[in-house]
Amino acid sequence: MNREGMFKILGSIGAILFAIAVPLLLASTYWTSVFTSIAINSLMVVSLRIILTVGEFSLGHVGFMCLGAYTSALLTMKAGLPFGVTLPAAGLFAGLVAFGLGYPFMRVKGIYFAILTLVTSESIRLLAFNWRGLTGGLDGLIGFPGAGVLSIPGLVQLDFNRFTEYYYLTLAVTLVSLFILYRLEKSRLGFTWLAIRDADKMAGAVGVNVLRYKVIAFSIASFFAGIGGALFAHFERALGPHPTATFGVMTTIYLLIYMVVGGKSRFSGPILGAVVLSLVYEFARPVEEYQPMIIGAIGILVVMTIPEGLIGIPERFKKWQAKQIE
Amino acid sequence: MSYLEIRKLTRFFGGLAAVMELEMEVDQGQLFGLIGPNGAGKTTVLNMIGGILRPNRGQIIFNGTEVTRLPPHLRARRGIARVFQENLLFRSLTVLENVEVGYHMQTKINLSNIFFDTRSNRIQEKALHQRALDTLDFVGLSPYSNELAINLPHGRQRLLALAIALATQPQLLLLDEPVTGMNSEEVETMLGMIRALRDQRGITCIIIEHNLKAIMGLCDRIAVLHFGRKIAEGPPEKIVNNPVVMEAYLGKEEDAT
Repeated sequence: MNREGMFKILGSIGAILFAIAVPLLLASTYWTSVFTSIAINSLMVVSLRIILTVGEFSLGHVGFMCLGAYTSALLTMKAGLPFGVTLPAAGLFAGLVAFGLGYPFMRVKGIYFAILTLVTSESIRLLAFNWRGLTGGLDGLIGFPGAGVLSIPGLVQLDFNRFTEYYYLTLAVTLVSLFILYRLEKSRLGFTWLAIRDADKMAGAVGVNVLRYKVIAFSIASFFAGIGGALFAHFERALGPHPTATFGVMTTIYLLIYMVVGGKSRFSGPILGAVVLSLVYEFARPVEEYQPMIIGAIGILVVMTIPEGLIGIPERFKKWQAKQIE
Repeated sequence: MSYLEIRKLTRFFGGLAAVMELEMEVDQGQLFGLIGPNGAGKTTVLNMIGGILRPNRGQIIFNGTEVTRLPPHLRARRGIARVFQENLLFRSLTVLENVEVGYHMQTKINLSNIFFDTRSNRIQEKALHQRALDTLDFVGLSPYSNELAINLPHGRQRLLALAIALATQPQLLLLDEPVTGMNSEEVETMLGMIRALRDQRGITCIIIEHNLKAIMGLCDRIAVLHFGRKIAEGPPEKIVNNPVVMEAYLGKEEDAT
């Protein structure tokens, strides 16, 4: 294996070990919950990037998160299903909706697709807002069950309603999801997505069913957005459709900024962006009204100075070093 | 019945008739040239045969079945391949990977080869690399297989586009200005290759080209388009001396007196 490959593997193992050690290292409920939302954000941003690999960008990713969150919350609340069932159900429902919408939506490109996703996400939020009988309207949903208890008699007893246990559950689901998304991207499927992004006309001419592959990408991205939503729902234990809350347009904008700041050309970029900017966001909490401005300013700064994102810094450093030696 | 039949093919862009009631027949194994001044509708015709544009009226019948309303990928499955006019390539991929995309129809994509590194998957990948390399060999690009496609010079990019089209195992090849912008040596290589494709593999070609010398020497039959209408058709030697064609290209001779 070459040095870069080694570096990549060591880097990811280090990151995973650090993530596992977080509750022990920081030993505070506050930080554990911050890292829970960082894990959810990472999953959201990485899944958003999947749409980018076919050359489109979505302004409505949060809508599918909203679908997943409400699906999981309502299924535990009204049908009494366990989290182990509602989590995949949330993903499947979001994915299915995206699959149905994908066929008409993916016929248009660029800004038109983005606008369609934007109005879809707002429509989903307004549906939650107006369908009082099901979603509780503006009051939202509160008091739905948490992730429950996993007990294997004589072996383990994990109460996922507690912060630390829920953090590990979120981390595990996120890591498995990221692994799946990584394999997808590195497979022939991801390869075909890239071909479509580079030249869809040409991909069609060599026999690629462009529309179908784009819809698959959109559905997979939305599936994982739904998973992210379910994780979010049972973490917060309360959901509301208020426009300034999580399911508003701002969240999608933040996700896009996380992606661009981290670096959209590599798989690890969005994760880096989500981690760094979520932390910045947390540290800026004392000056809450300036949070969007701070994130925005960082976004502008990074785009102007290192357009390839934070993930491109090591490469820049290497180039700079090579120049110094010359 | 001919291999490719085009019946009353018509396409409007707004009020402009880009192609008007075009009738065309191409035989199997023929090298068919399509010429005409700029804006005559040549590329529009290829776009309709390739499936990127749908005609407003008319029919395209390929190899006995009607393909008029089929999307491009289904036409590719029936053996129609395309070399685009612009240097359209998969920019972020290497030369070899570009050709591998061309083998898409023969590549299996399923859950097992996405998530597991199975033996059959490795065999498929290896075979795919080999076939892509062979195709690159044919167009003479195998020394550059690991370079990024966009870093190739123009002439080689055209050859790569041809290699991608060949990877689909085509029966009908649509070539849009294959030798434009090439130096004379590159033109000869490309023309030789097109001839070889017809002679060795029996591939039928429809070729648009502004380089009249090249196309006259290459094609068996030529059709001339002017403002969306076919004004002449026949073997090259007849086309060269056709006064209607001269007029379309050079304008009408006016009486000076």
